[in-house]
Amino acid sequence: MNAIQIGHLLHSSTTQFVAGCSVKQLESPSLGALVRAPIETGYQVFGLITDIHIDEDGLVRQLVTAGNVPTDVRQDSREHRIVPVEMSVLAVGYEQDGKIFHMLPPRPPLSLNEIYLCSETELAKFTGAAAHPEPGRRDFGYFRHILQAQDIPVGEVLAAHILQVKQQTKNEQWVDQATRELITLLRDDYPTLMSVLGALGEVI
Amino acid sequence: MSLNFQQVFNRIREIGLGAPALQQARETLRKQARSLLEEWADKPAQLRDKLERARQADPSLRCAIPLDGERLDASFPQAASLKLVTLLAADGSQILPDRHAALQYSLVNVGAIAMQSGSGQAPEVFTDSHLLYGEELYTETGLVSGEAIEQRRDIAERRKLLELAPDYPAPLLALTDGPVELWGAKGAGEDDYRKNLEIHKSILSQLQARGVTVAGYVDKPGADLVVRTLEIARLSTDEEFKGIRSLHSLRGVTDRWLYRFLPGGHRSAVFGLQSGSRLHYTGDLALHFFYLNVGDTRHPWLVRVEIPKWVADDKEKLDLLHAALLEQCRIMGARPYPYILHRAHEIAVVKFDEKAQVEQMLELELRQAGSEMDTESYKQSAKNLKGRSGH
Repeated sequence: MNAIQIGHLLHSSTTQFVAGCSVKQLESPSLGALVRAPIETGYQVFGLITDIHIDEDGLVRQLVTAGNVPTDVRQDSREHRIVPVEMSVLAVGYEQDGKIFHMLPPRPPLSLNEIYLCSETELAKFTGAAAHPEPGRRDFGYFRHILQAQDIPVGEVLAAHILQVKQQTKNEQWVDQATRELITLLRDDYPTLMSVLGALGEVI
Repeated sequence: MSLNFQQVFNRIREIGLGAPALQQARETLRKQARSLLEEWADKPAQLRDKLERARQADPSLRCAIPLDGERLDASFPQAASLKLVTLLAADGSQILPDRHAALQYSLVNVGAIAMQSGSGQAPEVFTDSHLLYGEELYTETGLVSGEAIEQRRDIAERRKLLELAPDYPAPLLALTDGPVELWGAKGAGEDDYRKNLEIHKSILSQLQARGVTVAGYVDKPGADLVVRTLEIARLSTDEEFKGIRSLHSLRGVTDRWLYRFLPGGHRSAVFGLQSGSRLHYTGDLALHFFYLNVGDTRHPWLVRVEIPKWVADDKEKLDLLHAALLEQCRIMGARPYPYILHRAHEIAVVKFDEKAQVEQMLELELRQAGSEMDTESYKQSAKNLKGRSGH
């Protein structure tokens, strides 16, 4: 299967990065999706999309006052105008020489690095939801990056991510274990736990 | 603080104190203008006689020439709904040579867009960028002037429209922002102007041959052409006609105010355009115009639409233009302006960082080629210092 490129890196740090794409590319990425930024041979950074936003555009603001925007004008805006679509991505791990680490990457991706949506195989490999589930605990180390992140909708991002894993890997056991892990991690933070469970309740 | 706000404030107070009297005087003049419009509305032949006398006294006179068949105060609604039409628009921007800069260069950028109205398809966009360097920047008299570059830009815009026209199905409508006529005779040099004028006329004729409806859209027009005609209508003695250049008895009244009576979407009568360039644009190229209320009846917004005679004489083309402009303006909502012209401007405009990029690339290329490099003037260097900013 061909890798789905969803944009290019605009700016980054070791904890998060922002990717930009054209409106035409906006069909593939979604909130909570796992993405990867290959940097060099054998090294790539993984992240979860925590926000997708379209910056204000003066012309669009004026066009909406007209009420009815013709299709050709809408297509023009999407295909030709520089509409800045930005995706904020939270770094949750990296791969070095084939081995996955749920730690912050040693080096962030660089400007204009291509950003790809993770395939089913890459998603299963990163999350530990392998095709042949084994009993026992899995490593959900990357959850700590999500739970510690400031200014992101933690519950919504986790729910969207878990739903994505469930749909793509069909690994129900992984979903159960991920939920238990979250309950354990958030046992001392009742408000966040309720928020996360509330969101998870919508998808599992 | 570099502005003496006390002095400015005192002047602002004076302006405020005098405003009611000015408004009253303006209202009086407006009433006079309105009654003159009604009085002369159906006397185009007599008005044209007066205009001819005034034109003999001042050949550069700019005013409206009333035509037979449409009253001066006539109002025409949109004749028909818009069918499938191809709209072309071009706009340009330029970087002028700056003797204070390290690099002497100029750039003319033309943005164009082709949109098939009502097709639901995304329009096609085009950009042509011409970099001028070295000998291209000089004329016989020295460094090329800003006006000459602007004329090149205007010609490049029109040329682009002509180039695109064969690629699209009829009916075709080609729009530019501003007047149709070519401007800038004095600053650009008479020879260059004449040369460009010939090119411009040739482009217009070729567009006519292709059946293209050509128009120039003037938003918030400043030239009060009909009011000027009404000022002339008042004249009777030879002495008054001789003094026409300095006679502005209705100053303060604008055409935009005069035609506020046009209901939303209506156009005025079509007028001929009397100007210094009338001698150059003759026959089917003779310039005409009408006013169009692109706003609504309660909040009128009057624009001037310039057209060549071949469009003015063709009712089908005129109606098509009328309908297309209204449709384009409606797209922009509360501040009506043709969408396609705005997009052409967006495509054409050279942003500050793009200019910096061009300069960086040019400098790098010249350095690699071992070319001698100049530096920016110390005056410019001092202006670039951080610490304060201004206009």
